[in-house]
Parts: sequence; C-alpha cells; structure tokens
Amino acid sequence: MKKTKIYLGLALLAVTGIVLVAADHIDAPGSMGTSADIADFYAFEPTTGSDNTVFIVDLQSSVLPDLAYGTFDENVLTEINIDLDGDLIEDKVIQAIPRDGIMYFFGPINPSQKGLNSQVWVDAPLGSVEISGTTAKVTTTTDGVKLFAGPRQDAFFFDFFQFNEVISGNAPLGFKTPEDAVDTFDGANTMSIAIEIPNSMLGTPTAKNALGLDVYKTWVTSNKKQ
Amino acid sequence: MKLSNLIYAFSYLVAISFFASCNNDDDNDTTMMPDMNADFSGTYAQVDHMGRPGINTVLSADNATKDMQNITLPSNMAAAFQASFEARLEAYHDVYANILGADPAAVNYENNILGLTAAQLTGYLAADVLDVAPNLPTTYFNPGTDADMDGRILVPDGDEVALTGRMLQDDVIDVSLILLFGGMEGNRFSGQDTNGDGMADLPRLTSDGVSITANPTTTFPYLANPE
Repeated sequence: MKKTKIYLGLALLAVTGIVLVAADHIDAPGSMGTSADIADFYAFEPTTGSDNTVFIVDLQSSVLPDLAYGTFDENVLTEINIDLDGDLIEDKVIQAIPRDGIMYFFGPINPSQKGLNSQVWVDAPLGSVEISGTTAKVTTTTDGVKLFAGPRQDAFFFDFFQFNEVISGNAPLGFKTPEDAVDTFDGANTMSIAIEIPNSMLGTPTAKNALGLDVYKTWVTSNKKQ
Repeated sequence: MKLSNLIYAFSYLVAISFFASCNNDDDNDTTMMPDMNADFSGTYAQVDHMGRPGINTVLSADNATKDMQNITLPSNMAAAFQASFEARLEAYHDVYANILGADPAAVNYENNILGLTAAQLTGYLAADVLDVAPNLPTTYFNPGTDADMDGRILVPDGDEVALTGRMLQDDVIDVSLILLFGGMEGNRFSGQDTNGDGMADLPRLTSDGVSITANPTTTFPYLANPE
C-alpha cells in the first residue's frame, strides 16, 4: 500500500466539515454566498432546428439559509463569454448589469479588453428589461433578442447532502437509491438572467467539442466594481 | 423515480407550460434603453467563473484552488489545474478502496465511456467551458444512448450528438459521475451485488439517485415562477 495514497485518502476524509454545493452554487470561499455568486449556467437550442441560442445565468440561491438572495447587485456585472475559434479566449461578450429596477444588456461585441477586468460597453447597447417580480416580464428587441431578469425556480437537482457524505468517506454504499435520494434544490429559487439570441449575432464557430462537432466555447463570469 | 410519479410530473409539466404561456403576455417589443444616463462607469474585476456544472466544486482539491479557478482565464486552466484534478480523481477512488478494504493502489480510475484516460478527462474538464452547438439539438450527454447496440453506452465513432450544450432538464450530475466513476461501460460502481446475497457490495457512484423536481416551461425564459 503506497503511503502517498493513504495520505491523500486521509486528506479527503478531513474535508468532512466543509459544505459544498454544485453546480457552481457556493463553490469557493471568495464568492460563496455573495450577491456575485454564480449558481448555474445553461446554454441550449430552444427548439429543434431553431436559429437561436438561449443562455441562462443563475446568480445567488435560496437553497441554504444565510446566503445572499433576492436582489441583483448594481456593483455586479455579469458577462457571457463566447469563443468561436477554440483558443478559449472570448470573441464575443454579452454583458448584463442592473440599474434602478432595470437590467441593461450590452453586446455581443468582440472586446478590445480581454481577461479579468472589464468595463461596461455603453456604446454597444443590446436592450433592457424591467426586473421581474413573481411573474416573468420579457422584452423582445427589434433584432429578435429576448431578455429577462428576475427570480425563478432553481432548476438544478442534486442530492448534495449525500454527496458530502460520499466525499467525506462516510457513505460506504455511495449515493442513495432513487427511492431514498432527496433533491436538495427542491423548492429553491435563484436570480436568473436569460437571453435568447439569433446565432447570426454571435458568428459561426470553428471550435470543436470532444466528438468533433462545431461548438461555441462558452462561460460566464461575475465581476465586481472596484 | 417511480413511473406513476413520472407520469404525474409530466402532466404537471404540461399544465405548468400551458399556464406559463398564457401568462407570458407581458412582452414589450423595444430596443430602447430607458435611462442611458445611468452611471455605468468604472472597472469590474472578475470574482466568479462557471463553464460546466460541478467541475470546480468536485475536482478542485481545496479552497485556495477553488478561489484560484474562479479567476483563472480558460486558456490557462488546463495547464493550471489538470494535474491536481487528476490527483483528486484518484483520491476519490482511494476513499472507496479504503472503505472496501482494498489496496488503494489497486483501485484506480478506469478509462470511461468516451475512452478517455484520467489525464485526458481531467485535461478536458480543467478547461472549464461549456460547449454549445448552434446547429444541433442540445444534450449535455445522453447516458442512455446505445445507438449501435454494442452494449456500451456511447462509442465515439463520429456520428453521435452529445456535449452540445446544457438543457435545464439535463442530469449533469449523473453524467459527470458516469464519466468519472463509470469506467468503460458507464456502470463500474453502481451498487452491484457481487456475491448474490441481495445486498450491494460495490458503492453507488454513477448516479445521485435524483431526477429533476423543478418545472421548466416551453416558453422564454423557460424557468418556472419562483416558489
């Protein structure tokens, strides 16, 4: 038995007390539970054969008590990044930032400034939408872009309490059977930003996925005003 | 989920979708920016990042790594995190080797249903971006697919559609678990009863056992009203 392996195993057992939540909910201490905490990211074709792509960014979560939840922070800029050529550097960026009950969207543009710091691209407005209450309020721009921002049901599902038992070495049988497993996110809400945009506004990708299919390489960031 | 529950859930989904579409009449056709005099000045510095679900949470070994991953550019991620992700993946296997009374050196990651080695898989996952195909149906992965009936869930011979985005309904946790712990057949650690005594002898690591409980709709913004 290799000692290094035993030490790794013991180190893993030592994380017992740490609460971890996926997908990205509360993933790291620096952003954990703050108004800038990204909870989830979805990107999909809305219907088969559609020429649009939908991006949904969930910020914050009500899944556990004492987390920031319920109000978009005016000091937090959300960016959806899209790489077309596969170098993992953004070629198109869509920005969203709230001001006085309105969510403003900018882009998609190829930013001159890449990387970890951003400015709001005020010269490239995309549209805006009133931040919803319980009922969804949607804007459609003349370019056919649909916009939404507001509280929504958190669609993520995961038995995360059992996950913590599994990674802590406390669950010899692993995860529970479907009869006994519990979706920790049942009943949770999140602050969602949604955009449905024609692919023609994003460009044609040459990047490939692991199966060789043409794809956008996408990711979302939250950014705090300095 | 029991079949009766599934049928109930589907009926509920249809009902919710219907009401959601009825309520979705608050649609303003405008590109006007209500108050472009609002102050958008200043510099915004990155604090959180997300591509694929669960990657940072599951494969970053400690809090410092998790924070660092959130402020690392995707183009630098594979170089920065592949090795530590692979070590973490192996450590997960060691946890169960110890529980099962086996030699941790003998219980290791096995190439998965995509045929990826531990280094290849963790290199792929370390570059934490979500692939989205603009001209193909979206599926994060469909672990039920066995189109060529060879007994393996998916053999990547070029004509499959997968890794093309993430739907609200996609069971991304089960997919991740299958890729990490499922081995070549996708079911390596799935609660098997190896000695026939009616009890599971191997841990259940390829599914967390839960299905979606939320009620996505068929119209924009696709997520249901808050609860």
